[in-house]
Amino acid sequence: MNYKAVIIGGSAGSFQVVTKILSALPKTFPLPVLLCLHRLKHVRSGFVEALSLKSGIPVEEPYDKEMMRPGKAYLAPANYHMYIELANRIALSTEDTVNHSRPSIDLSFITAANAYREKLVGIILSGANKDGALGLKKVCDNGGITIVQDPAECEVKTMTQSALQLTRVDFVYTTDQIISYLIKLK
Amino acid sequence: MTELGIVDIREIIRTIKTVYDYDFTNYALTSFKQRLERLMVNYGISNPESLLIKLREDLPFFDPFLYEIAVPSTEMFRDPSLWRWLREEYFPSALARNTGKIKIWLPACVSGAELYSLAILLTESGWLDKVSITASSFSNKGIEAIRQGSYEAKKMEVSEENYKRFNGIKELSAYYKADHGILFRQVSLIDTVEFKKLNINFDNAPQNNKLILFRNNLIYYNPTHQDKVLRLLHESLSVSGTLITGIRERIPGVNTGRDFEVLNESESVYRKRLPN
Repeated sequence: MNYKAVIIGGSAGSFQVVTKILSALPKTFPLPVLLCLHRLKHVRSGFVEALSLKSGIPVEEPYDKEMMRPGKAYLAPANYHMYIELANRIALSTEDTVNHSRPSIDLSFITAANAYREKLVGIILSGANKDGALGLKKVCDNGGITIVQDPAECEVKTMTQSALQLTRVDFVYTTDQIISYLIKLK
Repeated sequence: MTELGIVDIREIIRTIKTVYDYDFTNYALTSFKQRLERLMVNYGISNPESLLIKLREDLPFFDPFLYEIAVPSTEMFRDPSLWRWLREEYFPSALARNTGKIKIWLPACVSGAELYSLAILLTESGWLDKVSITASSFSNKGIEAIRQGSYEAKKMEVSEENYKRFNGIKELSAYYKADHGILFRQVSLIDTVEFKKLNINFDNAPQNNKLILFRNNLIYYNPTHQDKVLRLLHESLSVSGTLITGIRERIPGVNTGRDFEVLNESESVYRKRLPN
């Protein structure tokens, strides 16, 4: 299968995991990586810089309607929802919060699932609310690959457990297993 | 909730174009779809066919339709650093350079969060009589809501925090009253504001504006419509007038120096470039 994108959602306890995953990705990683991570609404700077420090691929906060490129990671900007539109474009939105969150992991996952169907890999990491569960279900319904971080390893289990309750996922993986899965992707 | 397919959305756009001569073709697809789905929930419309019939037959429904499609600002004083910059840099220098009133335009108000934030800034600094503000909205319902001052209570917590970061001189609560869970903002703040219904193709825009506040509206358009609207905004600015967009909205061609130059990069502030 030739995938088109990887999308990762996380909240409390996910920062270290995302950092570790990004640091293991080779510069030649063949897909765009979308990161929808809960963050403070009013803190605009610092997060993308922190994620960039050890990342193997460039990490940036996209501008509205930016084209996604392979081998780059796109972090949902503070206080915006990040949608994936057709034709590999990112669209931002200031619509109402969903599950008290903006960015909403559900909205990023649902729009990516609609854009990429079975050619999407969706990953839910540690987090403290149920955001992302509906989104991961949509990835599954549209034929994409679904991965949830092993709750035993999660700093906060609510997000992964909510996802597991709603969807029969393809893989429950530790961080290291997620990494070995991703680096084999084409 | 019904999920609309792309065929449904195209049909809705076609119907609106035929019946009302409003063209949503170049709106950003995902957010437009979400707005339509949300509107259907709010109005108890269970399927796309019923929405089409309502659009064809219930003509007064189109104004509230336009109101529901527009996305309100998330909160008051969003990006406090921009409001501080306006108070500490932009206005002092603009007021020093201008003898007449500074003409300000807010093209696409929905909840009035940006308008009331601006009015509070100007009131606290004693500059309200040194500006003339035009606020426009795509719907009469939007104008009515802003004039009435009602506002969602749940947005106040973040707004209060923003106001503190803006270093306002009072408490934000000094500017509103709560009544049965609905907030009413102090409408005297906007007494001098002129309201105007704007066509969605911007062809009745006020002209000669010194400052346009148009934040997080371009994101609801595709690049074709963004270009078109930016051209119209450019035309409606006075010589070296200022345009403020949302933090993650980018003006194409700004780096190649076509229409605008960057005045403040981190707050997305641009200045109309002088013709060569």
